[in-house]
Amino acid sequence: MKTYEDLAGDGGSNIIEQVEALGKKLRSRLDRIKYKVALMSGKGGVGKSSLTANVAACLVDKGYSVGILDADLNGPSICHLLGLKNSHKLIVDDRGVQPGIGTHGIKLMSMDMLLSSPDSPVMWTEEADATAVWVSTMESTALRELVADTDWGDLDFLLIDMPPGSDRIDNIRSLIPELAGVVEISIPSLLSQHIVSKSISKNNKMKVPIIGLIENMAGYTCPHCEKEGPLFEGENVESLAKQKNISYLGKIPFDTRIGRKTDSGSLYYMDNKDSVTGKAINSVVEKILESTI
Amino acid sequence: MKFLCIPCDEKMETQVDGIMPEEKKNLAMKFKCKKCGHSIAMLTNKFETEFVSKLGVQMGGTAAEATAAPMGVMAGALAGGKEELKKGAPTEEDVEWTEEAKQRIQKVPFFVRNMAKKTVLTFAKERGVTIIDAKLMDEVREKVGM
Repeated sequence: MKTYEDLAGDGGSNIIEQVEALGKKLRSRLDRIKYKVALMSGKGGVGKSSLTANVAACLVDKGYSVGILDADLNGPSICHLLGLKNSHKLIVDDRGVQPGIGTHGIKLMSMDMLLSSPDSPVMWTEEADATAVWVSTMESTALRELVADTDWGDLDFLLIDMPPGSDRIDNIRSLIPELAGVVEISIPSLLSQHIVSKSISKNNKMKVPIIGLIENMAGYTCPHCEKEGPLFEGENVESLAKQKNISYLGKIPFDTRIGRKTDSGSLYYMDNKDSVTGKAINSVVEKILESTI
Repeated sequence: MKFLCIPCDEKMETQVDGIMPEEKKNLAMKFKCKKCGHSIAMLTNKFETEFVSKLGVQMGGTAAEATAAPMGVMAGALAGGKEELKKGAPTEEDVEWTEEAKQRIQKVPFFVRNMAKKTVLTFAKERGVTIIDAKLMDEVREKVGM
């Protein structure tokens, strides 16, 4: 009786050929992007998305072309931050799906762009009995399609706004093996540092390069007098970086205006470069550039 | 995965007219021995079906078909997705699909939709039908027997 190897092909579905074709398409997109950087934190609510948007703005200000992949499938916020409305018409052509163009010309792709209404949740079936396996499977597939089927064009930087937690980095690393690295973000609270510590350990074990650790919301800055004050009780995040033997990229004081666009429609950084928080963002970006370029 | 006809010692071929997912969670594929004509069906449970779908490939498809529809898996599976996303899939020029038929084919999982479409189109072509409606799709299902 013939064996598996004796039979030519794979049974008629050309699965290997199809998987190879999908891989080539993904590679053709990634090869046009110089640096891919993921911004993540084990903890939610540390300001990842706002910081990602403002890091992008800072990079644009320095003359780089930038795109943001919103990898937070169930809690996307990049469209909102970059001023892309849900009514934006999705353009699907033979090159793929065209990315949205947010404020300052930042390209973006997010689940929010694919949903028919602003309050639509991400659901993979209308049926109530969707299994956890199915949801997990679809999320992995969705992430691949968001990376590979978006016509990013030529970019200097693709920033990946990761969801809370550290599980999605497995997908990203598999999709983008040449990832320049991840930027870990923590606020000073002990709880945040406890969880971010796990995220750093996981990345170290997986040999995912870590660019460094940012201490976000490190006190607040009064938008009127720029006087600084404490915001969270906790220990210096720098000591966590030292303990984990990774770079400390700096602290960014909280400014109430950072999570929203300014009156001019710009992101916070563009109109507040000389503020304490603006300068802190610039300092962090300089360190990211030193590490990646 | 490959299937061998033991009496003939020949590889069984995937049948384009043999695939018809009963519902989103199950998949049925027909294989036939070209030599003796014996057919078998491979039936998957929902977990096996989900595993196949993760690859983003189409059963009985080609490399070109796998990459033809941008965000094709999400277009088929995302509840509440934009119409522009759903329209991204290639359409056939010689036949017209009624709205109900379009909706039914859209419910077929992405990775087997192409095969299901081929099945329906072949069936329609054999009968000289140019409008594909729900009734014709019922006939296809009955004929295929899955």
